[in-house]
Amino acid sequence: MMRILVGTEKGAYLLSESGSDWQVEGPMFPGWKVTAFGQTTGGTHVAGVGSNWFGVGVHHSENLVDWKPSDSPPAWPEGSERKMEQIWTFHNDGDRLLAGVAQAGLFASDDGGMAWDPVTSLNEHRTREHWYPGAGGLCAHRILSGSGSMWVGISAVGVFRSDDDGATWVAKNDGIPSVDTAEGGERPEVGYCVHGLAHDPADPSRIWRQDHQGVFRSTDGGDTWERIEEGLPAGFGFVIWRHPGTGRLLTIPLESSENRVPVDGKLRAYASDDDGASWSVAGSGWSDAPQFTGVLRRAFDGDGDSGFCFGTSGGKLWLTRDVGETWQELSASFPRIAAIRIVA
Amino acid sequence: MSITVRIPRVLSQAVTSGLRHQAEGETLGAVLDDLFIREPGLENHLLDEDRKIRPHVLIFVDAARADLETPVGPSSEVQVLQAVSGG
Repeated sequence: MMRILVGTEKGAYLLSESGSDWQVEGPMFPGWKVTAFGQTTGGTHVAGVGSNWFGVGVHHSENLVDWKPSDSPPAWPEGSERKMEQIWTFHNDGDRLLAGVAQAGLFASDDGGMAWDPVTSLNEHRTREHWYPGAGGLCAHRILSGSGSMWVGISAVGVFRSDDDGATWVAKNDGIPSVDTAEGGERPEVGYCVHGLAHDPADPSRIWRQDHQGVFRSTDGGDTWERIEEGLPAGFGFVIWRHPGTGRLLTIPLESSENRVPVDGKLRAYASDDDGASWSVAGSGWSDAPQFTGVLRRAFDGDGDSGFCFGTSGGKLWLTRDVGETWQELSASFPRIAAIRIVA
Repeated sequence: MSITVRIPRVLSQAVTSGLRHQAEGETLGAVLDDLFIREPGLENHLLDEDRKIRPHVLIFVDAARADLETPVGPSSEVQVLQAVSGG
């Protein structure tokens, strides 16, 4: 039985499969934005919440119903000029739980997400004074790890890689157009607007990147990137996901940076079965009705098997159980969806 | 002395024991510090990184807007207000 956690602009919801229908519980965290979900290696669920007025919080649950707040969620040190604006993502790296936040930073917890310490090697990177926010803010929103390396994607800054357990970080954006460099100008070290990252767990140096400037891949851990958009109606978007079993890639193109809705209102996932060399519409089941909505960068998840779900900024959920061959739009509607997690 | 501190419903998820609390102190800051001992999840939501009242959080002592230095009397009541803007 599939269960889906849905984090929205106004609370979180838990969808549980019930026969051919879905039971909806919630809202949890009424009045709060729910922006990230995760799970400790011990099995405890974690949720990142935020408010325009009351800051951010991290909550824990064993049963997805009863949630307890962390006494010390990620916070910048006293006196810091930075503000803790949003929890963007959680990531398991061994027994350590990592959180990517805005204003951009990486935090680590060694006690299952109760107490958090800043990862100063990245947060105080020598390029920090040149980190500037994009439309989505200055946020560390995606973390990958494997084979002794770690990658962090920071919007409007770029991808950083560490090969020494987070002691040092190097920007890895060669081949990506900068967001603000005139053609022919000198390439800056930072200023690359990564929107999403996915990699091959069996070979973590193979990475796919949905960027503000298009869709790219790297076969060398991010040292170099090449554009891969053949068959896509647009290069812009936020979603990039790789099925761990088949290697199928999914992305959901949006028209452009200026017009962040599907081209001609045709909301579709696009699939690639050749590592991104070519793309085509993924399967069937899509609506022919115009759908001028978007999909945000954390609003999708796979279940580790053949299931994949994404939520839209219009509050709808789309689900496939066969890695994108057939799609179903769930009937329930929600506030603007920011985060999705499929739970067992 | 024991001072009543009322918090808005939206913060109920951050506390362990309801919306009405008792705390002690001679200033608002001291009262909140005492409250945070029992309700540590509240601190981050009322105070910012500089331990100042968050910019859009209003706290009243006896119906007058207060800062952390505002004196609190033995029969005072502290009220944290719910922000009402937004859609």
